[in-house]
Amino acid sequence: MTAPSSHVAELRDVKMQFDEKKVLDGVSLQVNPLDRLVIMGQSGSGKSTILRLILGILQPNAGSIFFKQFEITRLRRRKLQQVRRHIGMVYQYSALLSSRNVRDNVALPLEELTDNSRDEIDEIVDAKLDLVGMKDSKKLMPSELSGGMKKRVSLARSLVMEPELILFDEPVAGLDPVIASVIDELIISLTEKSQVTSVIVTHEMESAFRIGTRMAMIYQGKIIEDGPPEQFKQSNNPVVAQFLSGSTEGPILEGSQDAIATK
Amino acid sequence: MANTHTGTGAQSETLSTNPVVVVRGIGQLGRSFLREVGAMFWFIAHTLDETIDRVRQGRVPFRAASFFQHTERAGVESVPLVGLVSFFLGLTMALLTGYQLERFGTERLVPGLVAIGFTRELGPLLTGIMLAARIGAAFTAELGTMKVSEEVEAIEAMGIGPLRFLVAPRMLALFFLMPCLSTISNIAAIFASSLVCRAYFNMAFVYSIDLVRDALLIRDIITGILKSLMFGLIIGGIACYRGLTVNGGAAGVGAATTSSVVTAITVVIGVDTLYNTIYTIFFPT
Ligand SMILES: Nc1ncnc2c1ncn2[C@@H]1O[C@H](COP(=O)(O)OP(=O)(O)OP(=O)(O)O)[C@@H](O)[C@H]1O
Ligand SMILES: [Mg+2]
Repeated sequence: MTAPSSHVAELRDVKMQFDEKKVLDGVSLQVNPLDRLVIMGQSGSGKSTILRLILGILQPNAGSIFFKQFEITRLRRRKLQQVRRHIGMVYQYSALLSSRNVRDNVALPLEELTDNSRDEIDEIVDAKLDLVGMKDSKKLMPSELSGGMKKRVSLARSLVMEPELILFDEPVAGLDPVIASVIDELIISLTEKSQVTSVIVTHEMESAFRIGTRMAMIYQGKIIEDGPPEQFKQSNNPVVAQFLSGSTEGPILEGSQDAIATK
Repeated sequence: MANTHTGTGAQSETLSTNPVVVVRGIGQLGRSFLREVGAMFWFIAHTLDETIDRVRQGRVPFRAASFFQHTERAGVESVPLVGLVSFFLGLTMALLTGYQLERFGTERLVPGLVAIGFTRELGPLLTGIMLAARIGAAFTAELGTMKVSEEVEAIEAMGIGPLRFLVAPRMLALFFLMPCLSTISNIAAIFASSLVCRAYFNMAFVYSIDLVRDALLIRDIITGILKSLMFGLIIGGIACYRGLTVNGGAAGVGAATTSSVVTAITVVIGVDTLYNTIYTIFFPT
């Protein structure tokens, strides 16, 4: 019932399945304060599902999920909404509201959830947009932005409520290597500057090792390795080794649909 | 064994003359229908709940700007369509009934007939059908696209209630606009019928209006407004519900939009019939 409040977030023996498909099969994971926890795994292994579970958008079939002392799985709607204010989320495709310009997108949580005056909101929005280097694009609509710019706006939006935990879903997927490095640097500097904990889902190895202070690898519904980056580099778990090297030889493809393509 | 007379097993299965299969099919249809109706009520109830919850916290449920944006789009921009269609329908109705009634020398009933027909029945019904096609479809497509592009989830993840934020202003806009638009529809039709009466049946404009005033009862007007409010809620509810339950990408949005329009129009006509039946049973003439 009670979680040790030393963890920012915790999953305890979480099982999750969609219809017949088992996605998570007993996942336990702790996120400690100021961690930058990188979660790696194949496409479809349930990485985004873990983030949605932490936000309480999905309910697990079994197990419990904590954010600080709150058990997400047992909260009622209103309390859950309050807890979510302390968690920021950056979506893979940014999920900016296409009917609002950059300024209004970033201001949205402040307008809806705080009693700040318009001037105060403008000040906060300016400050956050400045942090991500998008101050000059306030009037642009999301459709006028590139993928990297959208990511940065989305990052600014996740920061305006001063969250204690930020979740990133594939922050650099689909970006060119230079912009990807920019986003990586931003994540590192912002989380350090604002002293926030973060969970980053990615399968870009370079970015994972650059950002992560801790890593976890999910395979077939379980966490198969969890530790600092050095431990991952030296891991003799064949799955981890294959994933890091990107080789087609190894246990990952065996018996999977994708294996057919390699034969 | 028994199949040997009628042919192969597969054939007799596709015919499905087996009463058990037919009954089971009807049962399944009925069950999914009830499930849909239940989900709709749940949806509207939750929207209300989220909105009231917000008001209890002493905050406005949504910004006035958001509400007026929807009223403008759904209402002001629908005026030409509603007005024009009702005008032409009023014209046709006056002409057709006028020539029939003229044979009995009772063509002065025409303005009242059109007026009552529209205020009680055609005004709300036509407006409902037009709004379902014009605005219901837009709401579904818009919310469906937001759902598919994870915008709805992002709103939820911020701790904002998506029902209150997205659905409530849209439903409220339709709720208040329906009576206004059906009033416009009534006025357009009555105006058209007076034009016909003047051009073909030699009635002065003011005389037709007098006839309308004599014929219309308060209770006709109240019925019309009640229906309009109900239709507004139905169309808004169905459109938003279909939008937020989209899955399966762009194709899903298309399918949901079609389904939203078809369902809304069917339900509006169904509820209208039900209302008329109940009304005539409890308040005959
Ligand atoms: N709402 C849902 N309904 C049904 N199945 C789902 C749903 N969400 C996810 N899944 C399934 O669960 C599995 C895990 O999905 P998830 O999005 O968590 O994967 P992922 O690790 O984030 O993959 P990717 O790297 O491609 O983003 C997938 O196979 C997906 O098909
Ligand atoms: Mg994912």
